[in-house]
Amino acid sequence: MISAPQAKPSTFAGFRLKLLVAMMLVVSAVAAVALVFAQRSAAANAQRQFEREFSDRLASLHAVEDVRNGVLAERCRELALRPRIHAALEDNALDLLYPSARNELVDIMDEPSASAEPRAYALHTRFYRFLNGAGRVIAPPESRGVGNLSAEEEARLSLPRTPDRPETGYLWRQSSPGEPIDELIAMPIVSTETGEIIAAIVLGFRPVDLDSRPAEGIKSGLCVGGRLYLPALASGEKATVAAQVATAAAAHSEGSFAVQAGGALYRLFYKALNPGSLYPPACEVILYPLSPLLAIEQNLLWKYAFAAALLFVGALAASHLLSIRLSRPVEKLAVDSEENLTQRKRAEDALAFTSQELQRSARFSADASHQLKTPVTVLRAGLEELMAGEALSPAGREEISDLIHQTFRLTSIVEDLLLLSRLDAGRLSIAFSPVDLRALIEAGLDDLGTLPEESELKIETELPAALSVAGEKRYTALILQNLLENARKYNQPGGRIRIAAREEGDWVVLTIGNTGRGIPPSAREHIFERFHRGGVGEDLPGHGLGLNLAREMARIHGGELRLSQASESWTEFELRLRRSGASA
Amino acid sequence: MTFRRAAALLVLSLLTAGSALAQATIAGRVTLPKARPGPVMNKRYAIVSRGGVLSPYPPVAVVYLEGAFPAAPRPPLGTKQMKQQDLAFVPNLLAIEVGTRVEFPNLDDTYHNIFSYSAAKRFDLGRYRSDERPIPAEVFDVAGLVTVRCDIHEHMRALILVLATPYFVLSDTEGRYRLENLPAGHYRLKAWLDSKTTLERPVDLQAGAVLPASFP
Repeated sequence: MISAPQAKPSTFAGFRLKLLVAMMLVVSAVAAVALVFAQRSAAANAQRQFEREFSDRLASLHAVEDVRNGVLAERCRELALRPRIHAALEDNALDLLYPSARNELVDIMDEPSASAEPRAYALHTRFYRFLNGAGRVIAPPESRGVGNLSAEEEARLSLPRTPDRPETGYLWRQSSPGEPIDELIAMPIVSTETGEIIAAIVLGFRPVDLDSRPAEGIKSGLCVGGRLYLPALASGEKATVAAQVATAAAAHSEGSFAVQAGGALYRLFYKALNPGSLYPPACEVILYPLSPLLAIEQNLLWKYAFAAALLFVGALAASHLLSIRLSRPVEKLAVDSEENLTQRKRAEDALAFTSQELQRSARFSADASHQLKTPVTVLRAGLEELMAGEALSPAGREEISDLIHQTFRLTSIVEDLLLLSRLDAGRLSIAFSPVDLRALIEAGLDDLGTLPEESELKIETELPAALSVAGEKRYTALILQNLLENARKYNQPGGRIRIAAREEGDWVVLTIGNTGRGIPPSAREHIFERFHRGGVGEDLPGHGLGLNLAREMARIHGGELRLSQASESWTEFELRLRRSGASA
Repeated sequence: MTFRRAAALLVLSLLTAGSALAQATIAGRVTLPKARPGPVMNKRYAIVSRGGVLSPYPPVAVVYLEGAFPAAPRPPLGTKQMKQQDLAFVPNLLAIEVGTRVEFPNLDDTYHNIFSYSAAKRFDLGRYRSDERPIPAEVFDVAGLVTVRCDIHEHMRALILVLATPYFVLSDTEGRYRLENLPAGHYRLKAWLDSKTTLERPVDLQAGAVLPASFP
C-alpha cells in the first residue's frame, strides 16, 4: 500500500529539464541581445567610418580648392592691376580684353597640347571668360587661348550680377563627353583705385578628382542643377537618384540615405559644394557600397552565432551541473516529503486501526456489560430465594449472604465498566446544570455513616454555605461517591476524613483527604489506571475502577482529579470542577 | 626754307591782324562737378575712374567752339608735349586740335610704356627710357577722347581730348574760362567735363563783343 520514496524519478527529471530550459532561455536571450547590439554597433561604426571618409574627402577637396582659389584670387587681384585690362574695360576696347589677359593668364591656361599630364591640372584652367559690370559674358573675339565653349555653354557662365566674392559653380559640357563637368570659379575684378568691382573673370577647371580608390567600389560624382554625374550608374537610375539628392539637398546641405543601384545597396552621402552661390546648386555625391558592410555584418553574425553556440553548449553543461546541484535538495525534499507522507499515512492507518480497535473494545465492554448484568441479576435473585429458604444452616446462610454481596460487587463492576466503555466510546454526553455540591457531599457522608463499620472515623468538613458546580448530578455524585468510598476504604481505624471546598475563580476546588497507610511512591503514578489497586491487599473491597472512573468523569465535566498529597499517613485528592455560572 | 617760313609767318600775321578787327570773345564760368575724393580714392590718380567715367582731378573743364568756321588761312599745327614726370603725366588733360602731333618724353629714371586702347587712337609706344630719341610721338587725327596709360604704372593716366576745332581753352579750377579771337557767327559752345559729360549751348558771336556764357 505504501511505495518507496524514490518512486517518482520522472518528476525530478521534469524539474531538472525545466530548470535547464529556463537557463538556456536566459542564455539564448543574452546571446541574442549581445548579437543585436554588436550588429547595431557594427552598422553604426561602418556608418561613422563612411561619414568620416566622406568628410575627409571633402576636407581634402576643400583644401585643394582653397589653395587654388587663393592662387586665383591673387591672380585676379594682379589682373585688376593691369592697366591694359583696365584700358580694355574702361575704354570700351573689349576686343583687346582677351588679348591683354592672355599674357597675364598664359601660365594657368591649360594648353591643349599640355593635357597629357592629367594630374597637374588643379591650377590649370580649361577656359576663361570675362563678365562685364552687369555679370554678362564678354564674348572673346576668338577662342584661341581662352578655351573652347559652345555659345550655349558660354551663356551659362553669365551671372545675374557681378560677384562680390568668388562664386563656385559647375558647368555641364556637351563638347567633352569624357569629362562632362567643369568646375567654375567666378572671381571679381576689383579696381585698386576705387574698390569698385569693374568686372569678373570666370575660370573653368576639371573638377578636383580625389577618387584614387575605385577598387573599393566607392562611386563618386556630382549632382549639378538636378542632373547627376555618376558614371557608375545606369542612366535610368541616375534620374531617380538625382531627384532624391535634389530633394534632400534642398532640405539639408549635407546628409546621407540608402539607395538601390545596379542591384546593390549603397549609402549615398551628399554635400552641397556651393551653398549660396549665384551658380546653380551642386552637390558632391558619393556612394559607399553596403555589401562589404553586409559582409562584415554577416561575418560578425557568424562569429557571434559561433560564440553563442559555444556559450550555449557551455551554458548547457553548466546549467546541467547547476540544475543537478540545485535539484538535489529539492529531490531530497521531495523524498523527505514522500517519506513524511508515508509515515503520516502509517500513523493515520495506525490511528484508524486504533480507533477501530478502541471502538470495538468499547463496544465489547458495553456488550459485555449488558451481557453480564442480566446473569448477575438472575444469580442474585436465585441466591436471595435460597436465603429465604427455611432449610439453611446459619453457616450456609452466611455463605449465601456473602455470595449475594459478591453479586452486588459484580453489578457494581459491570456498571462501572459500562460507564467506562461509554466514556471510551465517546458516547457519554453531559447535560450541564447547576449541581449543589454541598448537598451531594452531605448526602454522600450520610451514606458513609450508614455503612456497617467497625472502625469509627472522624469526619471533618470545611464547606462554604453555597457550593454549586456545573455538571450532571448523578455523575458528579458518582465522583464524590468514589472519592468518599476511597477515603473510607483505605483509612485506618480511628482515622479521619477531611473534606474541604473553596472557590478559586471559575473553579470549585474540593479536597478529600484521609489518614491511612498512604500510597507508596512507586504506585502513585498508577493509581488512576484501570484495575489498579494501589498495591493494597485483596482484603479490601474494590475493583480498581473507581479512581479511573472518577477522573474520567471529572475530565468529561471539564474538570480534573489529581492526587494532591501523598505521605505515609495522609492521602489527599483534589477535585476541580467548573463553578456553576462561570464563563465557559 | 627759313626764308619761306618767315614769309609765311608774315602773311599769317597780316591775315590775323586783318581778322583781329572782327574778333569775338566768350567768357564765363562752367559749374564744375564737385571734387569727390572718396575714401578709396588714390591720391596719385590725376584722372580718376568712377563707375566707368574718367574725369580730371581736381575738376576742370575744356570749353570749345564748334561749327562751320569761315575759311581762313591757318597757322600750321604745332607739336604738343605730354611728359612723364615723377610717375605722372604732365599735363594730365590735354586738349588738341585734330591732326596735332603729341610727343611723350620720359623725364623719369624708369621705363614707361605709353599706350592707348581708345577708339579715337590706339597706339602702343612700347617701353622706353628718358634717353629714347626721337622722342616717341603720335599724331592724333581722329576727334575724340583718348585715354593714355602706362603699362608699367597702373595709376598713370592722362586724357587727350582731340577736338575738331582750333578754338578751345581749359578752364581754371573754379570753372572760369575765356575764349578769344573767335570768328563772329552762329556756333555751338561746348564744355567737356568728363568722359561721359559734355555740355553744349548755341552762341551768336558779334565781332568785337564779349559774350558772357556760363554752364549751365
